[in-house]
Amino acid sequence: MSETSYSVLGVFDTPNALMRAIPKLRVAMLGTVEAYTPYPIHGIDEALGHRRSPLGGMVLVMGVLGALTAFGFEYWISAIDYPIITGGKAASSWEAFIPIMFEVTVLFATFTAGLGMLFLLNKLPFFGHPVLSSKAISGITRDRYALAIEAEDESFDSAAAAQALRDAGAVEVEILPAPDRSPFLTSDYILRTLGGIFAACVVSGLAIFFLTKWFPLLAPMKYMQDQPRLNAQKPSTFFKDGHGMQRPVAGTVARGYLPTATGTQDAAAALVNPLPRTKEVFAMGRKAYTIRCEVCHGALGNGMGSLTAAYGGKPANLQAQQFRDYPDGKIYWAIVNGKNAMPSHAADLTDSQRWAVVHYVRALQRAQNAKDEDLKVVAP
Amino acid sequence: MPSEAAIPAGAIPEGLLEPALTVGRVTPGSLDDQVLAFPETRPPWKWYLALCVTLTALAIGVGCIGYTFYTGIGAWGNNSPVFWAFDIINFVFWVGIGHAGTLISAILFLFRKRWRNAIARFAEAMTIFAVICAVIFPLIHVGRPWLAYWLFPYPNQRALWTNFRSPLLWDVFAVNTYFSVSAMFWYLGLIPDIASMRDRTTSKLRKPIYTVLALGWRGAATHWQHYEKAYLLLAGLATGLVLSVHSVVSFDFATSVVPGWHMTIFPPYFVAGAIFAGFAMVVMVLVVVRETMELKNLITMRHLDVMNKVILAMSCIMGYSYMMEGFTAWYSMNEYLHHGFMNIISGTYGWAGWLTISCNILIPQILWFKKARASYFWMIFVAIGVTLGMWFERFVIIVISLHQDYLPSAWRIYRPTLIDFGILLGTFGIFFTLVLLFARVLPVIATTEVKAILPDSQPSHHGDDHHV
Repeated sequence: MSETSYSVLGVFDTPNALMRAIPKLRVAMLGTVEAYTPYPIHGIDEALGHRRSPLGGMVLVMGVLGALTAFGFEYWISAIDYPIITGGKAASSWEAFIPIMFEVTVLFATFTAGLGMLFLLNKLPFFGHPVLSSKAISGITRDRYALAIEAEDESFDSAAAAQALRDAGAVEVEILPAPDRSPFLTSDYILRTLGGIFAACVVSGLAIFFLTKWFPLLAPMKYMQDQPRLNAQKPSTFFKDGHGMQRPVAGTVARGYLPTATGTQDAAAALVNPLPRTKEVFAMGRKAYTIRCEVCHGALGNGMGSLTAAYGGKPANLQAQQFRDYPDGKIYWAIVNGKNAMPSHAADLTDSQRWAVVHYVRALQRAQNAKDEDLKVVAP
Repeated sequence: MPSEAAIPAGAIPEGLLEPALTVGRVTPGSLDDQVLAFPETRPPWKWYLALCVTLTALAIGVGCIGYTFYTGIGAWGNNSPVFWAFDIINFVFWVGIGHAGTLISAILFLFRKRWRNAIARFAEAMTIFAVICAVIFPLIHVGRPWLAYWLFPYPNQRALWTNFRSPLLWDVFAVNTYFSVSAMFWYLGLIPDIASMRDRTTSKLRKPIYTVLALGWRGAATHWQHYEKAYLLLAGLATGLVLSVHSVVSFDFATSVVPGWHMTIFPPYFVAGAIFAGFAMVVMVLVVVRETMELKNLITMRHLDVMNKVILAMSCIMGYSYMMEGFTAWYSMNEYLHHGFMNIISGTYGWAGWLTISCNILIPQILWFKKARASYFWMIFVAIGVTLGMWFERFVIIVISLHQDYLPSAWRIYRPTLIDFGILLGTFGIFFTLVLLFARVLPVIATTEVKAILPDSQPSHHGDDHHV
């Protein structure tokens, strides 16, 4: 077979002439006989000896695969990964999956029928076939019927084939060159390119998945549930000791709690109450006293708080002469450091609250031991 | 007829012989010259005028949709309890229009109704355009259409999945599958025709475009064999879709507990209604096409006659369905259902109910007369009536059922806004713009399929030529 004679094309005017010529040419055994027609001709497949199209089987297999894919997908999602109770049915009830199974079956089957026919069986797109560039093609896609004797091996004799076609009634005969198999023209090349792109996508997708899994800093996509956090009653990896919350550095001072009155009570006697005697200060002192002091020392400061009866303790009676004679600093020292059974309130009261309490205690003492001139001050 | 040569002449009584599929002498060559040359001619001024009208409607629709995105879907009339209104009415309406195309291209193909070859291409195109119009509505009704991909099940950061037991998700799959299958069916049918256009055009612009679109189709007998098989399989698969898509759409309603929706008759009732509305639209468009594009010899009065008969048959099925709705309301002894039905015939929207019944049941009865089936006036009158009636049927089903259901304290009258009407007009603009463009750039008749059924187009009994 020479480069210039891959096949010989003969053109016929009617489908009858075409059908009559086919058996003659097949008997001559000059090469593969193929027909080119503007529309499908009844009975030509039997005449040319074509096998049945395998498309039906392909579509059946892919359709079943589509149904199984849809069912598997729906079942895994709705019953396993994200079970939701709908309509009181079990998460694994499958009846409601049927519509989507049907649709996916049709989708798979359709694409198999259409793309399988074009790409796999007919090897289209292919722009390099000699028939496409022949003189006869404008007739073939219009109203002419052509038969081609195509080379099977090196012994192809184009002259004999042309003569056979003329003898069989062809009105025009054309000798065609070999197909142009330039890679960009063929369906194989396109399929291979698409396959390559698909494989590259799969490989790079898996690579990215594992890279980001092993090197978390690279993670482009993180689930919120996967961030580092503290779980109650669980050890934490934040610190070496396994505790999520750490002790402050030794000597750390909380805001508003600067240590004062650290010496003896007598030494504290020299401290002076820095707060002015205003309504706001008395209100603050009263509030802090009510919360922190009243249960023991009583609302009047007479040591008769509500806890006294319950526990039998003996809180100091702040109305006693001893305490009325105390300088402010000694009361302040007692609030900060505690005294006898009384605990320190340094952690509960800020510095100004403590001094406000001192003011309030002074007010209580004066209220319970009022003098005549106090009344004059009140009544204008 | 030579193609019936296997049967001796005279064995079939004259009345039972299939009438000729075309008028006058049509040969494969003349068919190409008539249909395939058309896209290469310059459009007349009337076409530009029509395009201006449809583009104006389209622009109004785009403007209204833009306004909706800007202000939110409060721009529409939807409000409690009528949360579904124009958007779903229009969605169901357009999906229904599409069904005629699939019926013609798939079911009539399986039944070997050869007359369908001449109108299948146009009807399929209308299917695709109608589905495009339909999907706009769910997309804009989600309010934030840029998040519409949430409708699909895909692994996401929120670790959420879609609910496969929801009919709304079935809709997503059904409509997407329907669109994919219709587009595939349409394109496969176009390939041999585009190949013919590729080989006849002399334009330097069109040639490479057709060459790529035709995928190198060369009409080999081995290719035709697989092609016909694929076409047959696609027809079978699409047949299932015709019946399933509108059934799934009806599940949106039928699986709920709203009185007037919760009925088992809904799937067949919706499918029949879809075919009904679709055929009306096809008749309307085909009349215009055959008149303006000089295709009277290919799209014959017989086509219109047969399609009018289908419309008449579907109208009777619709009448039966409406009566069954009334019967169910009465026989169920369910007072809510009863109230819902009385709303259709005598409520605030009673006029819509009666409009539906008159347009869908009464007006099409004129088609019992052969003269009406052969008269442009009557068939267009019926087709417009059916289109209007089927739109109002969805209005009746959706709005009337929702505006008064169980709780009287939740009843409310629904009023659409101008924006609602603007978007509806816009989808008509999209649809007819696409139809006009299609009519100018692609072969409106499947020439390959018509060639195969012309007289003398098939070998008479495997080459035993009686004429020779």
